[in-house]
Amino acid sequence: MSLLMTDAVKGKLVLFVVLGVVACVGSLLPTVSSAAQSPTARTARMGRKSHVARAVKRSVRARAINAEEMQGLLKRDGSHPLLVNYWATWCDPCRDEFPDLVKIDKQYRAKGLDFIAITLDDLADINTAVPKFLREMKATMPVYLLNVADPEPAITSVDREWGGALPATFLYNNKGEVVYKHFGRIKADELREAIEKVIDNKQRECHP
Amino acid sequence: MKKLPVISLMIALVAIAIAGNARTNSTDVPAPPAIGATIVDFTLPDADGKDHSLNSLKGKNGTVLIFIAVQCPVSNAYNERMEKLAQDYKARGISVVGMNPNSTEPAADVKKHAEENKLTFPILKDNGNKIADSLGATRTPETYFLDANNKLVYHGRIDNSRDVSQVNSSELRDALEATLAGKPVAKTTANAFGCSIKRA
Repeated sequence: MSLLMTDAVKGKLVLFVVLGVVACVGSLLPTVSSAAQSPTARTARMGRKSHVARAVKRSVRARAINAEEMQGLLKRDGSHPLLVNYWATWCDPCRDEFPDLVKIDKQYRAKGLDFIAITLDDLADINTAVPKFLREMKATMPVYLLNVADPEPAITSVDREWGGALPATFLYNNKGEVVYKHFGRIKADELREAIEKVIDNKQRECHP
Repeated sequence: MKKLPVISLMIALVAIAIAGNARTNSTDVPAPPAIGATIVDFTLPDADGKDHSLNSLKGKNGTVLIFIAVQCPVSNAYNERMEKLAQDYKARGISVVGMNPNSTEPAADVKKHAEENKLTFPILKDNGNKIADSLGATRTPETYFLDANNKLVYHGRIDNSRDVSQVNSSELRDALEATLAGKPVAKTTANAFGCSIKRA
Protein backbone atom coordinates (compact mmCIF):
# COMPACT_ATOMS: atom_id res chain seq x y z
CA MET A 1 0.00 0.00 0.00
CA SER A 2 2.68 2.47 1.04
CA LEU A 3 4.62 1.55 -2.11
CA LEU A 4 1.77 2.94 -4.18
CA MET A 5 1.70 6.26 -2.36
CA THR A 6 3.32 9.24 -3.91
CA ASP A 7 5.18 11.63 -1.60
CA ALA A 8 2.41 14.17 -2.12
CA VAL A 9 -0.25 11.71 -0.91
CA LYS A 10 1.90 10.74 2.09
CA GLY A 11 2.36 14.40 2.90
CA LYS A 12 -1.36 14.98 2.79
CA LEU A 13 -1.97 11.96 5.05
CA VAL A 14 0.56 13.15 7.63
CA LEU A 15 -0.94 16.64 7.52
CA PHE A 16 -4.42 15.14 7.96
CA VAL A 17 -3.36 13.12 11.05
CA VAL A 18 -1.52 16.10 12.57
CA LEU A 19 -4.48 18.38 11.96
CA GLY A 20 -6.78 15.79 13.57
CA VAL A 21 -4.64 15.66 16.71
CA VAL A 22 -4.37 19.46 16.85
CA ALA A 23 -8.15 19.80 16.44
CA CYS A 24 -8.77 17.25 19.20
CA VAL A 25 -6.31 18.83 21.64
CA GLY A 26 -7.50 22.28 20.60
CA SER A 27 -11.05 21.40 21.53
CA LEU A 28 -9.95 20.80 25.11
CA LEU A 29 -8.23 24.17 25.36
CA PRO A 30 -10.07 27.45 25.77
CA THR A 31 -11.18 29.09 22.55
CA VAL A 32 -8.05 30.28 20.84
CA SER A 33 -8.17 32.24 17.65
CA SER A 34 -6.39 30.61 14.71
CA ALA A 35 -3.60 33.19 14.91
CA ALA A 36 -2.94 32.28 18.55
CA GLN A 37 -2.82 28.51 17.95
CA SER A 38 0.65 27.10 18.17
CA PRO A 39 2.17 23.62 17.99
CA THR A 40 4.17 24.09 21.18
CA ALA A 41 2.67 24.04 24.63
CA ARG A 42 4.52 27.20 25.62
CA THR A 43 3.14 29.34 22.85
CA ALA A 44 -0.28 27.75 23.31
CA ARG A 45 -0.25 28.94 26.91
CA MET A 46 0.78 32.40 25.80
CA GLY A 47 -1.96 32.35 23.19
CA ARG A 48 -4.48 31.44 25.86
CA LYS A 49 -3.40 34.34 28.04
CA SER A 50 -3.57 36.85 25.21
CA HIS A 51 -6.95 35.41 24.23
CA VAL A 52 -8.29 36.02 27.75
CA ALA A 53 -6.87 39.54 27.67
CA ARG A 54 -8.54 40.15 24.33
CA ALA A 55 -11.80 38.66 25.56
CA VAL A 56 -11.92 41.05 28.51
CA LYS A 57 -11.23 43.98 26.24
CA ARG A 58 -13.64 42.83 23.55
CA SER A 59 -16.57 41.89 25.78
CA VAL A 60 -17.21 45.40 27.02
CA ARG A 61 -18.40 46.18 23.51
CA ALA A 62 -21.23 44.27 21.89
CA ARG A 63 -21.24 43.71 18.15
CA ALA A 64 -24.50 44.26 16.27
CA ILE A 65 -25.65 41.25 14.27
CA ASN A 66 -28.66 40.38 12.14
CA ALA A 67 -30.75 37.19 12.37
CA GLU A 68 -28.65 35.39 9.74
CA GLU A 69 -25.41 36.17 11.56
CA MET A 70 -27.00 34.95 14.79
CA GLN A 71 -27.87 31.61 13.19
CA GLY A 72 -24.25 31.35 12.02
CA LEU A 73 -23.04 31.84 15.59
CA LEU A 74 -25.27 29.02 16.84
CA LYS A 75 -23.84 26.50 14.36
CA ARG A 76 -21.33 23.98 15.74
CA ASP A 77 -18.47 22.35 13.88
CA GLY A 78 -18.13 19.39 16.26
CA SER A 79 -15.47 20.87 18.54
CA HIS A 80 -17.06 22.86 21.38
CA PRO A 81 -20.41 22.84 23.14
CA LEU A 82 -22.05 26.28 23.24
CA LEU A 83 -23.96 28.18 25.90
CA VAL A 84 -26.15 31.06 24.70
CA ASN A 85 -27.86 33.58 26.95
CA TYR A 86 -30.43 36.04 25.61
CA TRP A 87 -30.72 39.11 27.80
CA ALA A 88 -31.18 42.88 27.92
CA THR A 89 -30.10 45.64 30.29
CA TRP A 90 -33.79 46.54 30.78
CA CYS A 91 -34.58 43.01 32.00
CA ASP A 92 -34.25 42.69 35.79
CA PRO A 93 -33.91 38.88 36.03
CA CYS A 94 -31.29 39.09 33.24
CA ARG A 95 -29.26 41.53 35.33
CA ASP A 96 -29.79 39.40 38.45
CA GLU A 97 -28.49 36.21 36.83
CA PHE A 98 -25.55 37.78 34.98
CA PRO A 99 -22.97 37.43 37.80
CA ASP A 100 -23.68 33.68 37.83
CA LEU A 101 -23.18 33.54 34.06
CA VAL A 102 -19.85 35.38 34.30
CA LYS A 103 -18.74 32.84 36.93
CA ILE A 104 -19.87 29.96 34.72
CA ASP A 105 -17.96 31.43 31.77
CA LYS A 106 -14.78 31.69 33.85
CA GLN A 107 -15.25 28.20 35.24
CA TYR A 108 -15.95 26.35 32.00
CA ARG A 109 -14.33 28.26 29.12
CA ALA A 110 -10.96 26.62 29.92
CA LYS A 111 -12.73 23.26 29.86
CA GLY A 112 -13.92 23.82 26.30
CA LEU A 113 -17.28 25.57 26.67
CA ASP A 114 -18.01 28.39 24.24
CA PHE A 115 -20.36 31.01 25.67
CA ILE A 116 -21.97 33.93 23.89
CA ALA A 117 -24.42 36.45 25.27
CA ILE A 118 -26.94 38.01 22.88
CA THR A 119 -28.56 41.23 24.03
CA LEU A 120 -31.94 42.49 22.82
CA ASP A 121 -31.20 46.04 23.84
CA ASP A 122 -31.87 48.82 21.37
CA LEU A 123 -29.10 49.58 18.91
CA ALA A 124 -29.00 53.07 20.46
CA ASP A 125 -27.66 51.50 23.68
CA ILE A 126 -24.79 49.58 22.08
CA ASN A 127 -22.15 52.12 23.11
CA THR A 128 -23.76 53.25 26.38
CA ALA A 129 -25.95 51.07 28.63
CA VAL A 130 -24.68 47.74 27.24
CA PRO A 131 -20.88 48.22 27.72
CA LYS A 132 -21.52 49.99 31.04
CA PHE A 133 -23.37 46.93 32.35
CA LEU A 134 -20.79 44.50 30.94
CA ARG A 135 -17.98 46.43 32.59
CA GLU A 136 -19.81 46.37 35.93
CA MET A 137 -20.26 42.61 35.55
CA LYS A 138 -16.61 42.10 34.48
CA ALA A 139 -18.04 40.04 31.63
CA THR A 140 -15.58 37.95 29.65
CA MET A 141 -17.78 36.26 27.05
CA PRO A 142 -18.31 37.63 23.53
CA VAL A 143 -21.48 39.75 23.43
CA TYR A 144 -23.66 40.47 20.41
CA LEU A 145 -26.65 42.76 19.97
CA LEU A 146 -29.40 41.29 17.82
CA ASN A 147 -30.59 44.12 15.63
CA VAL A 148 -33.74 43.10 13.76
CA ALA A 149 -36.83 45.01 12.67
CA ASP A 150 -39.00 41.95 13.24
CA PRO A 151 -37.97 39.61 16.09
CA GLU A 152 -40.37 36.81 15.09
CA PRO A 153 -38.14 34.87 12.62
CA ALA A 154 -35.15 35.04 14.97
CA ILE A 155 -37.13 33.77 17.98
CA THR A 156 -38.73 30.95 16.00
CA SER A 157 -35.38 29.91 14.49
CA VAL A 158 -33.87 29.51 17.97
CA ASP A 159 -36.64 27.41 19.52
CA ARG A 160 -40.26 26.72 18.67
CA GLU A 161 -41.22 26.62 22.35
CA TRP A 162 -39.76 30.04 23.03
CA GLY A 163 -42.11 32.99 22.81
CA GLY A 164 -39.40 35.60 23.34
CA ALA A 165 -39.51 35.92 27.15
CA LEU A 166 -36.19 37.16 28.59
CA PRO A 167 -33.90 35.89 29.88
CA ALA A 168 -33.59 32.63 27.95
CA THR A 169 -30.62 30.27 28.09
CA PHE A 170 -29.77 27.44 25.70
CA LEU A 171 -26.98 24.86 25.87
CA TYR A 172 -25.94 23.13 22.65
CA ASN A 173 -23.69 20.08 22.39
CA ASN A 174 -20.80 20.13 19.93
CA LYS A 175 -23.14 18.91 17.19
CA GLY A 176 -25.37 21.94 17.64
CA GLU A 177 -28.25 20.08 19.30
CA VAL A 178 -30.06 21.75 22.21
CA VAL A 179 -29.36 19.65 25.30
CA TYR A 180 -30.71 22.08 27.91
CA LYS A 181 -32.85 25.20 27.89
CA HIS A 182 -34.26 27.49 30.51
CA PHE A 183 -36.65 30.43 30.23
CA GLY A 184 -36.50 32.98 33.05
CA ARG A 185 -33.76 33.42 35.63
CA ILE A 186 -31.30 30.52 35.51
CA LYS A 187 -30.83 27.98 38.26
CA ALA A 188 -27.02 28.02 38.36
CA ASP A 189 -26.63 24.51 39.85
CA GLU A 190 -28.95 22.98 37.27
CA LEU A 191 -27.09 24.75 34.44
CA ARG A 192 -23.70 23.64 35.78
CA GLU A 193 -24.94 20.05 35.91
CA ALA A 194 -26.03 20.24 32.26
CA ILE A 195 -22.68 21.78 31.25
CA GLU A 196 -20.71 19.07 33.09
CA LYS A 197 -22.61 16.43 31.14
CA VAL A 198 -22.03 18.00 27.75
CA ILE A 199 -18.32 18.60 28.47
CA ASP A 200 -17.87 14.98 29.55
CA ASN A 201 -19.51 13.79 26.34
CA LYS A 202 -17.17 15.88 24.27
CA GLN A 203 -14.08 14.49 25.99
CA ARG A 204 -15.26 10.93 25.49
CA GLU A 205 -15.68 11.58 21.79
CA CYS A 206 -12.19 13.04 21.62
CA HIS A 207 -10.56 10.05 23.34
CA PRO A 208 -12.48 7.00 22.21
CA MET B 1 -36.07 -12.40 12.27
CA LYS B 2 -33.21 -10.14 11.28
CA LYS B 3 -35.47 -7.13 11.62
CA LEU B 4 -36.12 -7.71 15.32
CA PRO B 5 -32.86 -6.24 16.68
CA VAL B 6 -33.28 -3.25 14.36
CA ILE B 7 -36.82 -2.62 15.62
CA SER B 8 -35.69 -3.02 19.24
CA LEU B 9 -32.91 -0.54 18.62
CA MET B 10 -35.34 1.93 17.06
CA ILE B 11 -37.72 1.61 20.03
CA ALA B 12 -34.81 2.15 22.40
CA LEU B 13 -33.67 5.23 20.46
CA VAL B 14 -37.17 6.70 20.49
CA ALA B 15 -37.41 6.08 24.25
CA ILE B 16 -34.04 7.79 24.77
CA ALA B 17 -35.12 10.71 22.59
CA ILE B 18 -38.33 11.14 24.60
CA ALA B 19 -36.50 10.91 27.92
CA GLY B 20 -33.83 13.29 26.62
CA ASN B 21 -36.40 15.85 25.55
CA ALA B 22 -38.09 15.73 28.92
CA ARG B 23 -34.80 16.68 30.54
CA THR B 24 -33.88 19.52 28.20
CA ASN B 25 -36.59 21.87 29.34
CA SER B 26 -36.54 23.20 32.85
CA THR B 27 -39.54 25.46 32.30
CA ASP B 28 -42.77 24.43 33.95
CA VAL B 29 -45.17 26.58 31.94
CA PRO B 30 -47.81 24.50 30.16
CA ALA B 31 -48.18 24.88 26.38
CA PRO B 32 -50.71 27.54 25.33
CA PRO B 33 -54.13 26.41 24.04
CA ALA B 34 -54.30 25.79 20.30
CA ILE B 35 -55.79 28.40 18.01
CA GLY B 36 -59.50 27.59 17.78
CA ALA B 37 -59.70 26.28 21.36
CA THR B 38 -62.47 27.69 23.56
CA ILE B 39 -61.21 29.56 26.61
CA VAL B 40 -63.16 28.50 29.68
CA ASP B 41 -64.72 31.32 31.72
CA PHE B 42 -62.67 32.42 34.73
CA THR B 43 -62.97 34.94 37.55
CA LEU B 44 -60.24 37.23 38.85
CA PRO B 45 -60.25 40.25 41.17
CA ASP B 46 -59.42 43.76 39.97
CA ALA B 47 -56.94 45.96 41.84
CA ASP B 48 -59.67 46.86 44.37
CA GLY B 49 -60.37 43.22 45.08
CA LYS B 50 -63.70 43.13 43.22
CA ASP B 51 -64.23 39.92 41.24
CA HIS B 52 -64.96 39.93 37.50
CA SER B 53 -65.61 36.97 35.26
CA LEU B 54 -64.36 36.82 31.67
CA ASN B 55 -67.99 36.55 30.51
CA SER B 56 -68.97 39.71 32.41
CA LEU B 57 -66.18 41.70 30.69
CA LYS B 58 -66.26 40.23 27.19
CA GLY B 59 -67.28 42.32 24.19
CA LYS B 60 -70.10 41.24 21.93
CA ASN B 61 -67.59 40.82 19.08
CA GLY B 62 -64.66 39.55 21.09
CA THR B 63 -62.18 40.14 23.89
CA VAL B 64 -58.48 40.97 23.97
CA LEU B 65 -56.68 39.62 27.04
CA ILE B 66 -53.29 41.25 27.65
CA PHE B 67 -50.80 40.13 30.28
CA ILE B 68 -49.21 43.36 31.44
CA ALA B 69 -46.70 44.42 34.07
CA VAL B 70 -45.94 47.36 36.32
CA GLN B 71 -42.16 47.27 36.02
CA CYS B 72 -41.46 45.67 32.63
CA PRO B 73 -40.07 48.31 30.23
CA VAL B 74 -41.45 46.45 27.21
CA SER B 75 -44.96 46.31 28.67
CA ASN B 76 -44.65 49.97 29.66
CA ALA B 77 -43.57 50.91 26.13
CA TYR B 78 -47.00 49.64 25.06
CA ASN B 79 -49.14 51.52 27.64
CA GLU B 80 -50.36 54.15 25.19
CA ARG B 81 -50.89 51.62 22.41
CA MET B 82 -52.91 49.34 24.72
CA GLU B 83 -55.10 52.23 25.89
CA LYS B 84 -55.63 53.37 22.29
CA LEU B 85 -56.56 49.81 21.30
CA ALA B 86 -59.17 49.71 24.07
CA GLN B 87 -60.60 53.10 22.98
CA ASP B 88 -60.57 52.28 19.26
CA TYR B 89 -62.46 49.00 19.60
CA LYS B 90 -64.84 49.76 22.50
CA ALA B 91 -67.50 51.11 20.15
CA ARG B 92 -66.94 48.20 17.77
CA GLY B 93 -67.82 45.58 20.40
CA ILE B 94 -64.36 44.33 21.35
CA SER B 95 -63.21 44.80 24.92
CA VAL B 96 -59.65 44.92 26.22
CA VAL B 97 -58.86 43.29 29.57
CA GLY B 98 -55.45 43.62 31.20
CA MET B 99 -54.14 40.96 33.57
CA ASN B 100 -51.14 41.33 35.86
CA PRO B 101 -49.62 37.90 36.60
CA ASN B 102 -46.42 38.99 38.38
CA SER B 103 -46.08 37.74 41.95
CA THR B 104 -43.70 40.67 42.57
CA GLU B 105 -46.38 43.28 41.78
CA PRO B 106 -49.21 43.53 44.36
CA ALA B 107 -52.68 44.90 43.59
CA ALA B 108 -51.83 48.32 45.09
CA ASP B 109 -48.95 48.72 42.61
CA VAL B 110 -51.21 47.64 39.74
CA LYS B 111 -53.77 50.28 40.71
CA LYS B 112 -51.19 53.05 41.04
CA HIS B 113 -49.56 52.09 37.73
CA ALA B 114 -52.91 52.15 35.90
CA GLU B 115 -53.73 55.59 37.32
CA GLU B 116 -50.31 57.04 36.50
CA ASN B 117 -50.40 55.72 32.96
CA LYS B 118 -54.09 56.57 32.40
CA LEU B 119 -55.05 52.98 31.60
CA THR B 120 -58.86 52.96 31.66
CA PHE B 121 -59.53 49.36 30.61
CA PRO B 122 -60.09 46.83 33.43
CA ILE B 123 -56.93 45.27 34.86
CA LEU B 124 -57.27 42.07 36.84
CA LYS B 125 -54.78 40.63 39.28
CA ASP B 126 -53.91 37.06 38.31
CA ASN B 127 -52.90 35.91 41.78
CA GLY B 128 -50.74 32.80 41.71
CA ASN B 129 -50.54 33.26 37.89
CA LYS B 130 -53.32 30.68 37.50
CA ILE B 131 -54.71 32.13 34.28
CA ALA B 132 -51.21 32.77 32.90
CA ASP B 133 -50.57 29.06 33.50
CA SER B 134 -53.81 27.92 31.87
CA LEU B 135 -53.11 30.14 28.84
CA GLY B 136 -49.41 29.21 28.70
CA ALA B 137 -48.37 32.87 28.94
CA THR B 138 -44.63 33.47 29.43
CA ARG B 139 -44.01 37.18 29.03
CA THR B 140 -45.37 40.71 29.24
CA PRO B 141 -46.90 42.00 27.11
CA GLU B 142 -48.54 38.91 25.64
CA THR B 143 -52.01 38.96 24.12
CA TYR B 144 -54.86 36.53 23.43
CA PHE B 145 -57.74 37.55 21.19
CA LEU B 146 -60.96 35.60 21.74
CA ASP B 147 -63.87 35.86 19.34
CA ALA B 148 -67.50 36.41 20.42
CA ASN B 149 -67.69 32.74 21.50
CA ASN B 150 -64.43 32.89 23.52
CA LYS B 151 -62.59 30.92 20.86
CA LEU B 152 -58.91 31.78 20.63
CA VAL B 153 -58.23 33.32 17.23
CA TYR B 154 -54.89 35.09 17.83
CA HIS B 155 -52.08 34.69 20.37
CA GLY B 156 -48.89 36.69 20.58
CA ARG B 157 -47.48 40.17 20.29
CA ILE B 158 -49.26 43.48 19.80
CA ASP B 159 -46.93 44.48 16.95
CA ASN B 160 -43.34 44.01 15.82
CA SER B 161 -41.53 46.66 17.86
CA ARG B 162 -41.56 48.13 21.34
CA ASP B 163 -40.27 51.29 19.65
CA VAL B 164 -43.44 52.81 18.20
CA SER B 165 -41.50 54.52 15.39
CA GLN B 166 -40.31 51.10 14.13
CA VAL B 167 -43.73 49.45 13.92
CA ASN B 168 -44.53 48.09 10.47
CA SER B 169 -46.73 45.10 11.28
CA SER B 170 -49.62 45.10 13.75
CA GLU B 171 -50.70 41.49 14.02
CA LEU B 172 -53.18 42.02 16.90
CA ARG B 173 -55.07 44.82 15.13
CA ASP B 174 -55.00 42.80 11.91
CA ALA B 175 -56.64 39.90 13.77
CA LEU B 176 -59.32 42.20 15.23
CA GLU B 177 -60.09 43.75 11.84
CA ALA B 178 -60.29 40.35 10.13
CA THR B 179 -62.65 39.02 12.79
CA LEU B 180 -64.88 42.12 12.64
CA ALA B 181 -65.02 41.69 8.86
CA GLY B 182 -66.01 38.04 9.27
CA LYS B 183 -62.77 36.87 7.67
CA PRO B 184 -60.27 34.29 8.97
CA VAL B 185 -57.20 35.69 10.73
CA ALA B 186 -54.19 35.44 8.38
CA LYS B 187 -51.47 35.35 11.05
CA THR B 188 -52.68 33.61 14.19
CA THR B 189 -49.45 33.79 16.25
CA ALA B 190 -46.44 36.11 16.35
CA ASN B 191 -43.65 36.34 18.90
CA ALA B 192 -41.68 39.25 20.31
CA PHE B 193 -39.14 39.75 23.05
CA GLY B 194 -40.63 40.62 26.41
CA CYS B 195 -40.17 40.30 30.17
CA SER B 196 -40.54 36.89 31.78
CA ILE B 197 -43.65 36.59 33.93
CA LYS B 198 -42.56 36.52 37.58
CA ARG B 199 -44.37 33.38 38.65
CA ALA B 200 -45.25 32.64 42.25
